[in-house]
Amino acid sequence: MAGMSDAEVQGQIAHMIAFIDQEASEKVEEIDAKAEEEFNLEKGRLVQQARAKIMEIFEKREKSIDLQVKIQNSNLKNAARLKLLKKKEELMSEFFDKNVEEAKRAVRNDPAKYKDVMIKLTVQALVRLLEPKVTVRVRQQDVSLMKSVAQECESQFKNLTKGKYEVKIIVDEENFLSADLIGGVLLFALNDKISVTNTLDDRVTRIFHERMPGIRESLFGSNPNRKFRD
Amino acid sequence: MAQKTEGIQQLLIAEKKATDRVHEARKRKAARLKTAKKEAEAEITAYKEHREKLYKNAEQAAAGKHGSAETEIAAYTNKQIVELEKNMKMQMQKSMVLVQDPLFDIDISLHENVKLN
Repeated sequence: MAGMSDAEVQGQIAHMIAFIDQEASEKVEEIDAKAEEEFNLEKGRLVQQARAKIMEIFEKREKSIDLQVKIQNSNLKNAARLKLLKKKEELMSEFFDKNVEEAKRAVRNDPAKYKDVMIKLTVQALVRLLEPKVTVRVRQQDVSLMKSVAQECESQFKNLTKGKYEVKIIVDEENFLSADLIGGVLLFALNDKISVTNTLDDRVTRIFHERMPGIRESLFGSNPNRKFRD
Repeated sequence: MAQKTEGIQQLLIAEKKATDRVHEARKRKAARLKTAKKEAEAEITAYKEHREKLYKNAEQAAAGKHGSAETEIAAYTNKQIVELEKNMKMQMQKSMVLVQDPLFDIDISLHENVKLN
C-alpha cells in the first residue's frame, strides 16, 4: 500500500461511513415525507369522495322534507277553506228552509194575499201555455179557493191577450199537489201532454238561484276576494 | 493488512445499517398508507352521523311546525265560523226580505214573440 498512512486510511473510511450514513438519512427522510404526503392524499381523496356522496343524499332527503311541509301546509289551508265553504252551504240551506217556513206562515196568515197570489200564478202560467183547455192542479186544501177564482183567471187571461185567446179552466179534483208545499199551481194542457209548474216552492228555488250573490253578500258579508261586480 | 479488512468490515456494517434503515422506512410507509383507509372511514362515519343528526333535527322541526300550524289554522277557522254564524243571526231578518218580497211579487207578461193582432 503505497502513499497512505494508517491514519489517513482510517480517516477515509470514517469519511465514507459518514457519507453512507448521510445518504441513508436523506433517503429515509425522503421516504417518510413521501409516506406522509401519500397518506394525506389518499385519506383526503377517500373522505372527499364519500362526503360528496353523503351530502348529495342528505340534500335530496332534506329537500323532500321541505316539499312535504309545503304539501301539508297546502292541504291544511285547503281543508280549512273547504270547512268554511261547507259551513256556508249549511247556513244557506238553513236560510232556505227558514224562507220556506216564512212563506208558509205568510200564506196561512193572509188568505186574501194568497188568493191574489194564486190568481197571478195561474194567469202567469196560462199566458205561457196559450192553450184553450187547461187543467189546474193545486193542493187539496186549495181546491175550493181555486174553483172560486177560476173564472177571474179566465177573464184576466182573455184581457191580457186582447181577446185573441180564451181558456177554459178545469180544477183537478182527483190529483193534488203535496199538502206540504207552500202553495201554487200546476197546469196541464193537451191531454196532459204539456204542463207548466208555477208553485211558490219553485219560485223560492228560482229566486235563490237568481239572487244568490246578493243573498250571500247579505248573509255573509262582502267577499274581499271578489274581483268582478258588474 | 489487518486494518484493511477492518476498514472493509466497517464499511460493510455501515452499508447494512443504511439498507436496514431504508427498509424500515419503507415498511413504515406501507403501514402509514394502510391507516389512511382506516382513518378515512372513521371520518366518513363521523360525518355521516353528523348529517343524520341534522336531518333528524330538520324532520322534528318540520313536524313541530306542522303541528302548530294545524292548531293555528283550526283555531282561525273556528273563529271564522263563529263569526259567520253570529253575522248570519244579525242579518237574518234583513236578508229574508230579499227572498220574500220577490216571491210574492208576480209579474205577468206575454212572451215577446206572441202576436195579438
